Amino acid sequence: MYQKIPVTILTGYLGSGKTTLLNKILSEEHGKRIAVIENEYGEVGIDQGLVINADEEVFEMSNGCICCTVRGDLIRVLGNLMKRRDKFDYVLVETTGLADPGPVAQTFFMDDEIRDEFTLDGIVTLIDAAHIDQQLERSNESSEQVAFADVLILNKSDLVPEQSLVKLESRLRDMNTMARVVRSTQAEVPVETVLNLSAFDLDQILERRPTFLEPEYPFEWTGVYQLDPGNYQMTLEDGPDPEMSLVAIPGQKADEDALKQSAEQCVRLFAQAAQSLKPGDSIAANQHLSLELESKGAKSFLFDVKNEETIGFYAQHTAEEFDLKIIKAGQAVSPIKERVWVAEHEHDDEVGSIAIERQGNVDPEKLNQWIGTLLAEKGVDIFRTKGFISYKNESRRVVFQGVHMFFTAKPGQEWGDAPRCNQLVFIGRNLDEAQMRKDFDECLI
Amino acid sequence: MPDLKTFAPQGMLHEGWTAQVDDYALACGWTGNGDNLLVGDVAGGLSLFDGKTGALIWAKNNIHQGGLLALAIHPKGDRFATSGQDGCVLIWDSQQGEILHSIKPGRGWVEHLAWSGSGDMLAVAASKNVHIYHPDGVEQWCTEEHPSTVSSIAWSKPDELASACYGKVSFFDTARQQVSQELKWQGSLVSMVLSPGGDIVACGSQDNSVHFWRRSTGKDAEMTGYPGKPSQLAFDQSGQFLATGGSDQIIVWNFQGDGPEGSLPGQLVLHPEPVSTLAFAHEGRILASGARDGSVFVWLLDHNGDGNPLGGAFTAEKISAVCWKPDDTALAAIDSNGRVSVWPFKIRG
Repeated sequence: MYQKIPVTILTGYLGSGKTTLLNKILSEEHGKRIAVIENEYGEVGIDQGLVINADEEVFEMSNGCICCTVRGDLIRVLGNLMKRRDKFDYVLVETTGLADPGPVAQTFFMDDEIRDEFTLDGIVTLIDAAHIDQQLERSNESSEQVAFADVLILNKSDLVPEQSLVKLESRLRDMNTMARVVRSTQAEVPVETVLNLSAFDLDQILERRPTFLEPEYPFEWTGVYQLDPGNYQMTLEDGPDPEMSLVAIPGQKADEDALKQSAEQCVRLFAQAAQSLKPGDSIAANQHLSLELESKGAKSFLFDVKNEETIGFYAQHTAEEFDLKIIKAGQAVSPIKERVWVAEHEHDDEVGSIAIERQGNVDPEKLNQWIGTLLAEKGVDIFRTKGFISYKNESRRVVFQGVHMFFTAKPGQEWGDAPRCNQLVFIGRNLDEAQMRKDFDECLI
Repeated sequence: MPDLKTFAPQGMLHEGWTAQVDDYALACGWTGNGDNLLVGDVAGGLSLFDGKTGALIWAKNNIHQGGLLALAIHPKGDRFATSGQDGCVLIWDSQQGEILHSIKPGRGWVEHLAWSGSGDMLAVAASKNVHIYHPDGVEQWCTEEHPSTVSSIAWSKPDELASACYGKVSFFDTARQQVSQELKWQGSLVSMVLSPGGDIVACGSQDNSVHFWRRSTGKDAEMTGYPGKPSQLAFDQSGQFLATGGSDQIIVWNFQGDGPEGSLPGQLVLHPEPVSTLAFAHEGRILASGARDGSVFVWLLDHNGDGNPLGGAFTAEKISAVCWKPDDTALAAIDSNGRVSVWPFKIRG
C-alpha cells in the first residue's frame, strides 16, 4: 500500500524549547530520515542535513473563511519535498512562536496534492512551565497552540514548584482534555511520545480515548463541622453571586475517601432542581438548596442539631468568598476539615474542552444535522473535534475527527457485546457547553 | 507487483525512443534548433539526449546542492538556465554542457526562471524578489519585495514581466524599472499563464478556482467549481483557448466573443487520474496533456473547446511535463520515475 509521509508539527512560544526537542529527536532517531521545515530562525542551529528554512506565509481565501486559511510556505516546500520522497520518511515542522496552528493543520486537509502525499501525524506543543500562565493571558496564539495539541510538553518543569505544576496541568486539561500532558526538563521526553502518534488517524482514536481524568465538581468548597446539640445559624456576608448552591450531608467523616464519596453523592444532588431558601429559612439535609443572597449585609440560615454529630457543607463557592460562618449562641465554630475542589471553569479561559459521554444510540439524521449546523455556525471557534458514536444499525463504532469545519467520519471497531455509548470531545473558544450537551442529548434515541 | 509495461503509443503518437534519468524528472526542453532534448531531475542531474535517437550526448550530476527547482531554455536554444534549492542560478552552454555564468540572487530557493521573448533578459524569482539579468549574468534590476513568495513569472511583452503571488499579479516595466500595473485579488495565486498577446492573465488559485483578468478592459472573472487546485494552465497560440487542470478532466475556456463568462467550457475526459501537465502545440488547436497515472493524450479541439483525442501513450508514472518539439513533429514526456519518452507525432501510415 502507498504510505503517506507522516508530519509532526512542533509549536510553542519562543524559548519553550522547540529547537532543543527537535535536535534531540534528530539525534536519537538515527533510523529515520527526517526532513525539517523550520519557520523559526532561532539562535540554536539544527544539526542535520535536510533542513529547509521557510518564512511563514498564511494564505486566506477569497471567501474570507478562517477555516479555509492555509500555509502557503508548507504547500510550496512539501510540494517540492514530495518529489524527493525516497530521500526521507518523516517531516517535522517547527513553527514560529506566534504561529496559529489552525492553518498549519488545515493545510493537510485543504490542499488536494498535500493530502494525497502527507498525513498529519500530530501536533506537539511545548510549554514553558514558568511563563505559560502569563502567555495564556496575553495571547490568543498561545491558547490556540494548547487547544490544537495532541501532546502538551510541560518543559522547564524543574524551574516550577510541584504545586504550581499541578495547578497548571489542571488548567491545561481544562482547555484541552484530548491532549496528553508530559512533564520535561530541557525537552527530555521519549521520542515515542511525540512521533508516530497517528493522532489524526481515525483508527487510532478509539485506542487513544480522551481521558476524563479529574472530575470537575459543581462545588468549590467543603467544610466539615463537629457540632454539639443546639440551634445553629450559617451566616454569609456579601459575596460575588446573588445566590449560592449548598448541600448539607449529616454524618460526614473528615477523611479523604469519605469526602470523595459524599462529593459524588452531592454531584447527583446538585443535578436536581434546587429548593430556594430565603434568609431565616431552615437548612434541610441531603438536599440541593439555593441560598438567596441578594439582600445587603449579613444573612442567616438556620438548622438544629439534636445529637452530637458531624455535618459536611458542600458549597458552590469557598467559605472565604462570602465569609461563611457557622455560629452557635454568637460563637463561631471552626471546621474540623476544609477541602477545596477543582471546580468547573476554574480559570475562566476562553478556550476550553467539552467532553460529552452518553450511553445508547444516536439518530444518524439528527446527529448529522446537528454537527453540520454546529460546524457551519461555530466552525471558526471549534478548533478540534474527536470521538466516536453508536448508530443502532451499525455494528461498528463510527469514529470521527475534525479541524475547524473539516470533518471526517468512518466505521471503526466492532461493538460486539460492549454496551453502546458515545464519546465526543470539542475543543474551542467560547463554546456554549449547556446548549451543546442539550443538542446532543436530543440526537439520542 | 507485476512489472507495469508501458503501452505502445496509439493514434498519431508513434513509437519513438525512451531513456532513463537517475531521479524524478522535473523539467525538460528542446535545445539547439529543436535537435536535442534536455532533461533535469529533482536531485540536480542534467541529461542532454539526441532528439532523434535518444542517444545521451552529455550528463551532469548534482548541479544544485539540495536539488533542482527550475530549468529554462533560451529562445535561441544555444544556452539555458537552471536554478535550485542552493539559491543559485546557472547559465549553461547547451551544446557542451558547460557553465557560462553562476549567479546567487539571494538566500532562499530559486523556484522560477523565464527568458524574455528575445532572450535579452532572464527573469529569476527568488523567494519574494524577482531579479532581471542579462544573459551574461549581470543583474539589470531587482523588483521590490513582494508581499509573499513569488509563485509564477512570465513575460507579457518584450520588456514587461508579470509576477504572481498571494494577493496580486504585478506587471513590471523592465526598461523603466517600475511597476506598470497591479491586479489585486484576495487569494493565493499558485500559477499564472498569459495569453500570447499578453492581454489576458489567468491564475490558478489555491481555493480551487481560476481567476483571470483582461488587461485592456480591466474586467476580471472567477471560474469556480474545480474539485482540485487548477495549477496546470495553458493558452493556445491564438489566445482563444485556456486549458486548465485541477481534476481528471481538462476544462477548456473559450475566450472568443463574450466568453468565457457565462459560457459552458469544453471538457476533455479520458485521463483516469488528475491532470498533472498541459501544453499546446506551437500551431493549431492541438493540446497535449499528462496525468498522475502516467497517461498522455493529444487532443484536437473544435471551435468550442471540446475535442477528440488524436493519440495517446502511457508511462505508468506521474507525468511531470510534456513538451512539444519546436516544429510539432514530436512530443516529449518525462515522469516521476525518471523515464523520458519521445513520440513522433504524425498521421499514421
